[in-house]
Amino acid sequence: MSLRTRQIVGLACLLLLAAAMCLLRVLITRVDGGISLAWPEAGIAGFRLTALSVGAIVGCSLAVSGVLLQALLRNPLAEPFILGISSGAGLGVMAAMYLAYRLHGPGAGGEERLAPAIIGALITLAAVYALGQRRGWLDPVSLVLVGVIVSAICGAGIMFFQHLVDTGLRGQFTTWLMGYIPEAVDVWVLRLCAIIALIGLVVGGVMGRAMDAATLGDDEARSVGLSIGPLRVAMFGLAGVLAASTVALAGPIGFVGLIAPHLARLVLGPKHAALVVGAALCGIAITVGADVARQAVDVGAGRMPIGIFTAIIGGPAFIWLLLSGRGQS
Amino acid sequence: MSLVIDNLGFSYGRLSALRGVSVRAEPGQLIAVLGPNAAGKSTLLRCMIGALKPTAGQVLLDGRTVHRLSPRTLAMRIAYVPQRSIVSAAFTVRQVVELGRYALPADHRRVSESIANLDLSDVEHRAYRTLSVGQQQRVTLARAFAQLAPDGVMVLDEPTSAMDLQHASRALELLAQAARAGTTVIMAMHDLSVAAMAASHAWLLHRGELAAEGATCEVLEAQRLQRVFGVGFTWIKDGAGRPRLLADPPALAAGAYNATP
Repeated sequence: MSLRTRQIVGLACLLLLAAAMCLLRVLITRVDGGISLAWPEAGIAGFRLTALSVGAIVGCSLAVSGVLLQALLRNPLAEPFILGISSGAGLGVMAAMYLAYRLHGPGAGGEERLAPAIIGALITLAAVYALGQRRGWLDPVSLVLVGVIVSAICGAGIMFFQHLVDTGLRGQFTTWLMGYIPEAVDVWVLRLCAIIALIGLVVGGVMGRAMDAATLGDDEARSVGLSIGPLRVAMFGLAGVLAASTVALAGPIGFVGLIAPHLARLVLGPKHAALVVGAALCGIAITVGADVARQAVDVGAGRMPIGIFTAIIGGPAFIWLLLSGRGQS
Repeated sequence: MSLVIDNLGFSYGRLSALRGVSVRAEPGQLIAVLGPNAAGKSTLLRCMIGALKPTAGQVLLDGRTVHRLSPRTLAMRIAYVPQRSIVSAAFTVRQVVELGRYALPADHRRVSESIANLDLSDVEHRAYRTLSVGQQQRVTLARAFAQLAPDGVMVLDEPTSAMDLQHASRALELLAQAARAGTTVIMAMHDLSVAAMAASHAWLLHRGELAAEGATCEVLEAQRLQRVFGVGFTWIKDGAGRPRLLADPPALAAGAYNATP
């Protein structure tokens, strides 16, 4: 099978998988003692379609962000959550939520999350990038370690803000921090995040060849004609904004940015133009699929955070990548 | 294409790696860049491809300062082969060679020719990272040949160091052919005997300075080599009457390894 045929067939399969998960998300309903599949009533359908849109946007953005980071850092373990970008965005959002709480009282939810999330994500990304270098070279292991440490520092900041608010609001903060697909979102936020996801997808696809060349060392990438410096800054910025938009919508959701590119690679191969699209479809399938699983599993009180499901799949996948050697750059 | 290195200097922070290097390369020359470890060979090559911005002097390619040229413009003129190429994606051999055409129009025939010339056709669809280091060096060389313009410059950093004798010999033959066709080939290497046989010209670096340059046989003068490398060298004639350069390292001469054929 030629590479092109493999890519077309692979993309069609991933599209079917993502579509199936999206359909399930709309149809699945928890009933007494089990689940049923049926088209929801008009009132409920709107909520489900909003949750589906959020899940699809979050999955697509996290996956594309993961592909960009893995290509530009030459590190297959890179993803927004592991590199601390999600935590940085989370800290930005928490700071904004706390500020809203202080200024307007306990009722204020800090709805303006997108801007603080983007600022937090970009500052974290710049810090991890700067600290992950050794003698001017990006060291893959240092990068992951720095990401973990920066993530821990941001986590401490998040806990600090949690500590400062009332107990009731603290619970709301905690739920959001575990990854939560909402069924009601401001339309303009949803549209803006959808536009960011679309830009990420299109730019990622168009820059596929450049990302292929970026997998060479810096000197070699430059010698085959790639302006690696400007590309890296632009793609990192895009990856940071993509990750930040997901945090603003659904809180920090881990591992989707790691698993989706690797799954797409298994199906489509390593060329980035197809990989970006395939990873986006995988990201949608995983995130919406996790939301379906959350709907299906009835444990504890209220809705389970989606981050639990992505971490259950993503944690072992990360260890497998590390031990199998696929995580080596 | 002529490459002029004009009073070139480069420092890594306080550590001076190159000082006052002035030399030029002309089309058709196959130049061996020689010198002991840390003599500044790789730094010189990286300045030539525009990867390092000189702290003094300049590198001119047909009169234009190299580090001011865009990567795309440079890629049309200079092909670069590092000592070891690490590709972070799981590309096949063919996909790696195709990267040589990144800034140029796709040319499948040229890519196939480069792969065949480096004896890589049987591993064309294998993952690059599963190959031996010697095979990977051949892939990187094939990529450079797929990129190279006939009148361009090829800069190589010990391109055959991990190759077996047969493939190293083939690679040097291809480089000599390219030089004869008008390419300027500049190649850092450690094996002086091979340099003596393969290169038309040599640049000898010592502690960041140019110790000698010119025709290979003139540069590789035994007393000069003794002074630069701290090891004795002897020119002999082989069975066919061709001159050969032999090293005479003290430890080996003292019988540390007493191998008998």
